[in-house]
Amino acid sequence: MIGIVTIGIAAGTMLVMAVVMSYILGWANKKFHVEVDPRVEAVTEALPGANCGGCGFIGCSDYAVAIVANNAPVNKCPVGGEGCAAEVATIMGVEVGDSVPSRPVVHCAGHTADKAGKSQYRGEPRCAAAHLVAGIQDCTFGCLGFGDCVVACNYDAIHVNDGLATVDYDKCVGCGACVKACPRMIISMADFNEDKVPAILCSNKDKGKDVTGACTVGCMGCKACTKVSDIITMQGDLAVLDASAYTYEKVEGAEKAIEKCPRNTIAFIGK
Amino acid sequence: MGLFRFKGFPGKGTFPHGIHPPDNKFFSADKAIEVFPTPAKVLLPLLQNIGAPCEPVVKSKQQVAVGELVGKGKAFVSAALHSPVAGKVKKPAMVTLPNGRHMQAIQIAADEDQNPGEVLWEKLSAKDWPTDCISIYDPATISKVIHDAGIVGLGGAAFPTHVKVMPDENKMIDTLMINGCECEPFLTPDYRLMMEAPGAIVTGALLAGRAISAKEIIICVEDNKPLAIERLRRITAQTVIRVAVVQTKYPQGSEKQLVKSVLDLDVPLGGLPSDVGVAMSNVGTIAAIGMAVIKEEPLTHRVISVSGGGIANPKNLFVPIGVSVGELIDYCGGLTKDAARVVSGGPMMGFSFSDMDTPVTKGTSGITVLTHEDVDRENETSCVRCGRCVDACPMNLVPTKLAMASRYKNPALAVKYNINACFECGSCTYVCPANIKLVQLIRTGKQQVAAMNK
Repeated sequence: MIGIVTIGIAAGTMLVMAVVMSYILGWANKKFHVEVDPRVEAVTEALPGANCGGCGFIGCSDYAVAIVANNAPVNKCPVGGEGCAAEVATIMGVEVGDSVPSRPVVHCAGHTADKAGKSQYRGEPRCAAAHLVAGIQDCTFGCLGFGDCVVACNYDAIHVNDGLATVDYDKCVGCGACVKACPRMIISMADFNEDKVPAILCSNKDKGKDVTGACTVGCMGCKACTKVSDIITMQGDLAVLDASAYTYEKVEGAEKAIEKCPRNTIAFIGK
Repeated sequence: MGLFRFKGFPGKGTFPHGIHPPDNKFFSADKAIEVFPTPAKVLLPLLQNIGAPCEPVVKSKQQVAVGELVGKGKAFVSAALHSPVAGKVKKPAMVTLPNGRHMQAIQIAADEDQNPGEVLWEKLSAKDWPTDCISIYDPATISKVIHDAGIVGLGGAAFPTHVKVMPDENKMIDTLMINGCECEPFLTPDYRLMMEAPGAIVTGALLAGRAISAKEIIICVEDNKPLAIERLRRITAQTVIRVAVVQTKYPQGSEKQLVKSVLDLDVPLGGLPSDVGVAMSNVGTIAAIGMAVIKEEPLTHRVISVSGGGIANPKNLFVPIGVSVGELIDYCGGLTKDAARVVSGGPMMGFSFSDMDTPVTKGTSGITVLTHEDVDRENETSCVRCGRCVDACPMNLVPTKLAMASRYKNPALAVKYNINACFECGSCTYVCPANIKLVQLIRTGKQQVAAMNK
């Protein structure tokens, strides 16, 4: 008998508590309601969800908020590409601007055999650690080949090929993770106006004599390329190519520059 | 040793943790210092010290004399640079120093028929060093001379000395400690200098003590150098300088550890010995101060040891700064067959490098050539949490935690475990049974922390 009464009291108490709590919850829901633009959710859905940071924002949802609240451009997602940009543009009711894909360029052409002074290195096999050690190779600007960029890439789009980081442009989405991972800062993003663009594959800022002693393919600052192509300029002792100025009409100049370069430092890269 | 007791100082003569690697000083300890003949050219990197690089004040094709100013330090923490030879300035060149810095350097082709090293060594090892009438030198003048002579710490870190002797109202310095421990294996230049030029050290110590108005001056030597201790005791008997004999242990020569050993004072985390009223300088630096003030010679030459199992005839040499390492090795009979690594400094804290044209800088205390037997190690295995690195760390850090924070790119964790307190002595890597490159990882971790704070 006592059992039934006890159960009755317990059940009754729970019931009352449940009713009171639900009213509190219902009130709190109204009182603390935050107005969320439904478009944010829709844009987040439309984005690929890779959270790579290639757009310059912290992950996809941050980018979605920026698009809706701050009118950020809709074509910044390197992973989703044009399809994604069109979808987001429809949600936002805006036009997709002209977007040029941006892809990483490894400014080094030195494979293992090209680099002078390669020494036996038995330290921590990571570029960030090896970069702090002198005497791994004579060139203090060139690719170390331990693959910090390979680890950073989420798309299996960069590999170390015979001591040199090489981008697979078929897989690359242009998120820029490899650019941040490289301790020697030899990877940079460049505009790809065409599928294939010319690039200077060297970062060595030293004088010509020092470069030729360190590597067989480094830019020695002879300026031959600058005379035949107007998109190449000299920055100190290193030739620098302005990729954003490259269009199909300039292919002839670029081809001539490649032909003139005595060190095979210039090449067409891309798909 | 037991020959000398540590007494008369508040400390215990030793510090907690640390290691006992074989000191390997027998290679060059008994070799008297030889004056290296003037090389055909010298290469003077513009950055030879901690701090800002100096700016060249000479032009190509200009004729310079011995001791003439060629580089001027503009920033406060930077040092002047002087030519160690008489000769003609050539085109500037690029050099990669053993610590990885890629730096512009002044190139000077030396004239024939000169031997400034011989003259300077005679002055340095002379018997005429005064120990009285030091008070005629004004402290401010001494500081200025140290600044103008381009003197930096010759123990290896190459911190500009004029910054240390600068009076600071917030930090009252009462003790000058002179570091003659030389705990790094293989290296013997400080030992030889104490043996052959104790006069310069004593006079320099009195001058430096006057510059910072120190009440007490202590020369600290490890007990594995009994001959140097005896010599210093005899020569300092009539002066205020005391000699402290500390236990042989690595890294006894680190300034924080030495302050603990001798004075039983704890330098606060992230602080310097000046926070506990101590200024510390290496014996070589102190001798250079003596040379600059009394004999008016700037810092252009230094003593280094060329030692190790990979050298045919290990030697102690008095060399001009800027001479290439290859020339020194050739002078010492070249490399032996089983030479494996050329290291700038000693095996614990030195940097190995491959370019034999690398010049000697002010901070190069020795060239150590290690053999295959010295450097061959098993491959790295997993950390077994044995804690030996924790027992070895003289700074009471947890090296394995710091190294893993670096490997897995977690600078916030590294900061929490005080990564910047590590001075990279290498004790943890020395004792690690798993062969983990702890110090290298920690050094990389410091870069990550610096990048995070940017």
